[in-house]
Amino acid sequence: MEYKVNKKVSILSILVIAILSTSFSAAVLATTDDSLTVYSTRKEHLIKPLFDAFTSNTGIEVKYLTGNGGALIERIKLEGKRTKADMFMTVDAGNLWYAASQNLFQPVESEVLINNIPAHLRDPEGLWTGLSVRARTIIYSTERVNPSELSTYQDLADNKWKGRLCLRTSKKVYTKSLVASLIHHDGQEATTDVVKGWVDNLAATPNAEDTHVMRAILAGQCDVGIVNTYYFGRLQAEKPNVTLKLFWANQGSTGTHVNISGAGVTKYSSNKEGSIKLLEFLSSIDAQKIYVELNKEYPASQKLKADNLIAQWGDFNQDKMNLSVAGKNQADAVALMQREGYR
Amino acid sequence: MSIRQNNSNILMGFLAFSVAFPIIVVFSAWLLPGSELWGHFAENLLPELVSSTLILLLGVGIGVSVLGTVLAYLVVMVEFPGRKWLEWALFLPFAIPAYVLAFVYLGVFDYSGYAQVWLRELTGISGFDIRSGHWAIILTFVLVFYPYVYMMARASFKRQKIQMIEAGKMLGASPFSVFWKISVPLARPAIAAGLLVTLMETLADFGVVSLFNYPTFTTAIYSAWGDFRSIEVAAQLASLLVLVAFLLIYFEKKARGKAKYYSSDVSSIKPYHANGLIGWLLFVFVFGVFMLSFAMPMLQIIIWSFEKFTQEWNPRYFDYLSSTGILTISATVLTVFIATLLALPSRRKSNSKVLQILIRFSTLGYALPGSVMAVGLLYGVQNISLISIYFGGSSINHILFGSVALLLFAYVSRFMAIAFNSTIASSEQIKPMFEQSARLLGASRFRLIKEVYLPMMTPGILAGALLVSVDVMKELPATYLLRPFGWDTLAIRVYELSAEGLYERAAIPALIMVFLGAVIMLLFNKLDRDNN
Repeated sequence: MEYKVNKKVSILSILVIAILSTSFSAAVLATTDDSLTVYSTRKEHLIKPLFDAFTSNTGIEVKYLTGNGGALIERIKLEGKRTKADMFMTVDAGNLWYAASQNLFQPVESEVLINNIPAHLRDPEGLWTGLSVRARTIIYSTERVNPSELSTYQDLADNKWKGRLCLRTSKKVYTKSLVASLIHHDGQEATTDVVKGWVDNLAATPNAEDTHVMRAILAGQCDVGIVNTYYFGRLQAEKPNVTLKLFWANQGSTGTHVNISGAGVTKYSSNKEGSIKLLEFLSSIDAQKIYVELNKEYPASQKLKADNLIAQWGDFNQDKMNLSVAGKNQADAVALMQREGYR
Repeated sequence: MSIRQNNSNILMGFLAFSVAFPIIVVFSAWLLPGSELWGHFAENLLPELVSSTLILLLGVGIGVSVLGTVLAYLVVMVEFPGRKWLEWALFLPFAIPAYVLAFVYLGVFDYSGYAQVWLRELTGISGFDIRSGHWAIILTFVLVFYPYVYMMARASFKRQKIQMIEAGKMLGASPFSVFWKISVPLARPAIAAGLLVTLMETLADFGVVSLFNYPTFTTAIYSAWGDFRSIEVAAQLASLLVLVAFLLIYFEKKARGKAKYYSSDVSSIKPYHANGLIGWLLFVFVFGVFMLSFAMPMLQIIIWSFEKFTQEWNPRYFDYLSSTGILTISATVLTVFIATLLALPSRRKSNSKVLQILIRFSTLGYALPGSVMAVGLLYGVQNISLISIYFGGSSINHILFGSVALLLFAYVSRFMAIAFNSTIASSEQIKPMFEQSARLLGASRFRLIKEVYLPMMTPGILAGALLVSVDVMKELPATYLLRPFGWDTLAIRVYELSAEGLYERAAIPALIMVFLGAVIMLLFNKLDRDNN
């Protein structure tokens, strides 16, 4: 028994040493070919098909590392000039704005991007580019809500929604950016009242996910909520007769809040040319189609019409606030929500 | 001898210091200037967070102690129907990652879950929000963490001297008072050790509390970092968690007192036979725990996996499997090796106070949220690089970042508590007599370790190894940040899918993980039996 254990231990130690040494040498010998490396907070199943398409078009290989936004930004900062990342890809304008403010990106000048992507979805200095658009709007139960009752995000703070509202947690970046946009349009005070009203109207503890909000409405726990449209798109693709419907918020005023997923070329990219090529490809019609198919998001490109499922939700006016504002206001938005006890 | 002793003390000190390195970096955040964020947090977040964290710790602590101890006592001391297979089946929930269990429970028991829908249809009562209040999340943690206490208490009950219990019985003690007055006090150190690990893991948890949207101390840590982009305040808050863990260890030591229970006799005779109705009632209780904590969630995961198999399965899964396997094995071997060195009996006695505190400190990583520890590690490497540059060298960041080595380092730091608790527990059971007689016979230090200590510590070492391996396999935040390119693990796949709300698809990698974890747990059980 002793002998057996000792032998096992020594085999395992050899294994460990072998792994350690190969891992070191792999890191040191990393070659500088023309392949690209992307750090992404977009999850693997949503980016791999895009990169595969790019590789088969151009022959340029794309390596990627997924992770959480704050953590990846720290990693790129600390890797400094020798970072492996050529591109940082993330969701939410606030994250892109923050990465830019931390000096992670370099400006890119590209006619292709300017032609494909509208100006309010791009950084004014060309540091980052939006690549897909996600609208965040009101969702309601077709069984218990008459759409004529609905109008704006702010109206959901009204007393008539008491015990009928479900919201996603304030910790999620989409909630933060929405409230940041309200602060931009209405100011701190008015937004404080709105958030206070929302919290009073809640039928349940704020949910961790938009999918949970929709499930709660379906189960009758509440009647309305606010979700990113693609979550509803996925649900509808599975259950076409689901008794939920989207309502385009704030059409009479500021327009429906939109957010983006996007990317920028890192400051110390070792392959700027290739990175720009990848960005341009991601903004092209072929890639934009993949974005829409994979995740039911709206294309960022002006040249592509939304697909059938999305098109049936109808056209709507977008909030045209430049999205870097959402980034700037995010900390205020969080502080405000925390003061009002919006978990 | 004293010079060698000193040398080995220095070596041990260096080892413990290395393991504690990320924790020390996190503490060093206090050297950075303060922030007005503290004012905002103190006013708006902390009062609620502190009280709800305390309630959670209290509830989970009482829950796992009672449930784990009672279950362990029943399977060891009482013969009842189904006892044999339930004894090992009760280990299995440990193989399910806590956040997976949480999303299954929410899917089944929350307002929209079918358990509640069914209840509403059956009885007409109105539904309720299980995420509000404390009891549902406490119950979730209890069901996922009770195996820690169960495992340790069971091992302790097995070693208890049968004579003491027989003596108690002869003096007319009822089964209950034997349990309460003899068995439990004797098992107290084991129960406390299991409890300690549970509380540390509860403190560091982020997955379950986010799904329930329950405010705990980690909420503030992530808010400081994610919302207010202040990694300093996040680290300062996280270091408070470490202090709490330190206090917990102190209380555990206190609770344990000077009591040492050396024993070696093991008997397979069950003192009690529960026949008839009582036996079946016991079966229903133990089986109920097994159903709730393992069988029911597994059934749900299996159903989801079948539904989504064609959509989710792809060849990448072989990569996930091999990364998971390699990381798990290497991290386990490293962690347990170091833990064994630190826990060797001869060290314990000759150690200086400073070294003992340092060793204890090195086990506190378990109470740190994984991503805070991981970033601490990155900053630690950065500091070494800065020092190296100052002396004319070059930065080592690009060599270490994204290397398997750094990730393994993180695992060792994070899971040292688990390994050390196990190895020290078995080391403490070695009677001082062994060392004395070996010395008298002129055995060298090396032989003493190899031929006396290691064989006697083997059960603890193996138990530690198996616990660590299951934990490494489930680990998410540190792996997510530090892994090399292409080294995605099953845990990462589960997270990426569930973070997008795709729980049904996440069931597939989760199922594979649980399967691997279950195999490891069964291996544990087999080794445990061989040892007895």
